[in-house]
Amino acid sequence: MKMTAAQKIHTQPDMAQITLENVTVEFTSRALTVKAVDSISLDIRQGEFVALVGPSGCGKSTALNMIAGLLKPSAGSVTYAGAPVAGPNTRVGYMTQKDTLLPWRTVEDNIAIAFELRARKAEAANARERVREMIELVGLAGFERHYPAELSGGMRKRAALARMLIYEPETLLLDEPFGALDAQLRLVMQQELLRLVERRKMTVVLVTHDLEEAVALADRVVVFTSRPGRIRMMRDIDFARPRVPEKLRFTPEFGAICEELWRELREEVAKSVAHHA
Amino acid sequence: MRSPSGPDTGSRSVAALQQIALLLAILLAWYFASGNLLPAFYISDPVSVAKVIGRWIADGSLWLHIGTSMLTLFLGYAIGATLGIAFGLLLGMKPDLEEMLAPFIAAIYGLPKVALLPLFVIAFGIGLLSKVMLVASVVVFLLFYATLSGVRDIDRDMIDGLRLMGAKEDEITRKVRFPAILPWIYTGLRTSIGYALTTTVVAEALSSNRGLGFLIEHSAAQFNAAGVFAAVVVLLVVSSLIMIPLGMLEKRAGSR
Repeated sequence: MKMTAAQKIHTQPDMAQITLENVTVEFTSRALTVKAVDSISLDIRQGEFVALVGPSGCGKSTALNMIAGLLKPSAGSVTYAGAPVAGPNTRVGYMTQKDTLLPWRTVEDNIAIAFELRARKAEAANARERVREMIELVGLAGFERHYPAELSGGMRKRAALARMLIYEPETLLLDEPFGALDAQLRLVMQQELLRLVERRKMTVVLVTHDLEEAVALADRVVVFTSRPGRIRMMRDIDFARPRVPEKLRFTPEFGAICEELWRELREEVAKSVAHHA
Repeated sequence: MRSPSGPDTGSRSVAALQQIALLLAILLAWYFASGNLLPAFYISDPVSVAKVIGRWIADGSLWLHIGTSMLTLFLGYAIGATLGIAFGLLLGMKPDLEEMLAPFIAAIYGLPKVALLPLFVIAFGIGLLSKVMLVASVVVFLLFYATLSGVRDIDRDMIDGLRLMGAKEDEITRKVRFPAILPWIYTGLRTSIGYALTTTVVAEALSSNRGLGFLIEHSAAQFNAAGVFAAVVVLLVVSSLIMIPLGMLEKRAGSR
């Protein structure tokens, strides 16, 4: 099994950065076992931007947790850059839905924390300068000395984004990164993210509820079914890069793709709503 | 009307005046009740109490007793707190071990430690050490449980976030666990000082020939009400003085 997986990577022209193979996740609480993810297989190429969409509770975040090495699949395998993921994957930057800023550190100190770690000491050259740039980039200038509790939800999100981006991990795992932002700021941040990702050729896995966001940013959109999560369909998005999402949004192709995806998604959302009722 | 910054200086000085007035009223009531409402033999009176304290100051015995009590208190407190925090951190990071040991720890925690004094005297002698260890045995559990709750309360995602950045265990302890449990430790330190003082005084009353506890017990054994009250007043002042810095410490930690 392992051999063939390794061989597959070597024979592929586009090397798979992330591979999920027949991955199943079951959560057991008391006597109840819930299947969150049901044998999904997914290859994500190096430098690819993949968006995962689907109804709530379909296991999108679970998939990110597995790639980050924070969760072990009940069955199947997760591979990152050719090696099985066993334990925290330090080559990814992970922005969870809930921000994990340290409440006793200021915005500035939160963003700079990566450079205090031995593992990233080498990258800490002119850290001050980079922190300042990053704060500017996410629009938090003037709030450097504020504590997370003094910021709005959207500002905390941006601080968390800055904290992850500053050490430029090769892969970004983003779980609803812009969910708490207002519509205008969301557009700005999407553009900034694209700029950075396209420049650095980062691999990105984005979980979002927002179909338009998925289509505007990603090279490929993966639609999940309602729980237990399976892959219902994948759709390549072939807009040229670098992209400008604000302009893309008004093209007829964009609308057509969104509509096509929405037809698939709506059935799943309806199913998940029926489940809950 | 309430001002956002709390009571202003004017109303604060009014409150201080009221507090002084109340204290004087209590002392006066005590003075006049003594010998009229209740026999002076039992309740003594403020003047006699003040005279006893004056005598203790004059012959220097007051400082000896306060010094002995404080030495016992702070040594026991420091040892107990250090061990409690260390064990709390250790078991907080090893939930399996903690779960296995939990019933044993809870059983010993529930035991009134003063009952162990005879054992401690056998083990550590009649001197200072047995009392220091008794105080430590009380404080260690309070700080252990405070620290453990603090460690358990830490958001796992905060730790995972740092781990993904490449942080090693010791870095996570320094950058997440320590700062996260500080408020819990402050609270633990503040609540346990009261228990530590109680234990000190009781231990001294039971087996000692110096310290404030001994002073109370010794005066009572001689039916010297003024001596008992004098020692209690000294204890009152000392315990209030101890509480002030700890309260400030916690307020500072809580302001975040």
